[in-house]
Amino acid sequence: MTVQRDVVVKQLADVRPLGNEEGLIPQFGVLINNLPANFWNLATMRLLDAAQGERRKELEAALVDCAHQCGYNTGYGIVNSEEFQSVVMPMVTEGAKDVLRGAYAVFTAWGWAKSGIAQIKEGEKMVIRAVDYYEADEKPGYHMAYMIRGVSAAFFDIAYGGDYPNGLNTFDCEQTQGIEMGDKFGEFVVTKK
Amino acid sequence: MSIKVEHSFDDQTYRHYLNGTLTVMHCHHYMALATQLAEQFADIGAPQILADAAEDSIRPMLDDYFAKNGVGSADEKLAVGVEYYAVIGMGKMQASGSEAGGQASLSASHMDQGWEMKWGKRDTPMNYWTRGYIAAVFAAAFGKPARSYVVTEEAGMITGAPESKFTIRLK
Repeated sequence: MTVQRDVVVKQLADVRPLGNEEGLIPQFGVLINNLPANFWNLATMRLLDAAQGERRKELEAALVDCAHQCGYNTGYGIVNSEEFQSVVMPMVTEGAKDVLRGAYAVFTAWGWAKSGIAQIKEGEKMVIRAVDYYEADEKPGYHMAYMIRGVSAAFFDIAYGGDYPNGLNTFDCEQTQGIEMGDKFGEFVVTKK
Repeated sequence: MSIKVEHSFDDQTYRHYLNGTLTVMHCHHYMALATQLAEQFADIGAPQILADAAEDSIRPMLDDYFAKNGVGSADEKLAVGVEYYAVIGMGKMQASGSEAGGQASLSASHMDQGWEMKWGKRDTPMNYWTRGYIAAVFAAAFGKPARSYVVTEEAGMITGAPESKFTIRLK
């Protein structure tokens, strides 16, 4: 057996994030927010449209870095969460590769991107494909899935970058295809930095 | 008053909706880093871009809720805005005012507490996102277009203040 995405999705998709009496959502060792997805797209697109030349390149790197750090810290919390341990880990038979499959199943179940691993060479390279993701909802004329890029690099960091928290930034991720650019799916390639 | 909260899930796209609005969960790391990024790109107006994106994404969510639930008066709309802030995990807000403006405060704040968890306290307020949120609430409550209100963060929990405080003024 290996990790079956649809089984994980079925068991974890019933997430109901809701603020407590303080209006906060503490979970997985972090505070969660549950904002309109459009906020993130509008902010990203308007920032990119306002930045020119070298500043735009710096901005793109910073956008990926936000998701990379978030994905590394929260991803580690998720992989070690009760939900992951009870739903995903019983299906893990192929070590880190299966844990990664489980991470993308959670990534899918919780609405970030309907995605999975298309190719993997353990510890070296991974190709992710996403057939639906909120970052593709705007059509700005450029690739805009900085969140998926950062989180994908972070997941590979967690799996193959060494012990947490020292593995951050071991890997990098580039977007090679995007639904927001008219492609059938988004494609993301993770390699060593 | 207690607002209705209905979560739904699209089993084709695997997307999640809150009262019909597409929403996505993120963590305080992401929000704090996005805020830090905005400050690093102040030369292109990034803090205000963040606030305006918040205003423009929150306003349709509120207008939709008001329409679907028959929320008619300005006071009721302000109250819904305050409660919605907590529902989406951004903290505990109080707000009052009139068409001309008003005040808002936070006794719990995802932004401030998240920043502090990550980097500790700082000397200046930085809750740009909530400035945009409050602008959306007041504009929605009083039937004004976007950018009608100037929201200023006068005090921030992140600086050690017991509450974050905002003033709201009609342009």
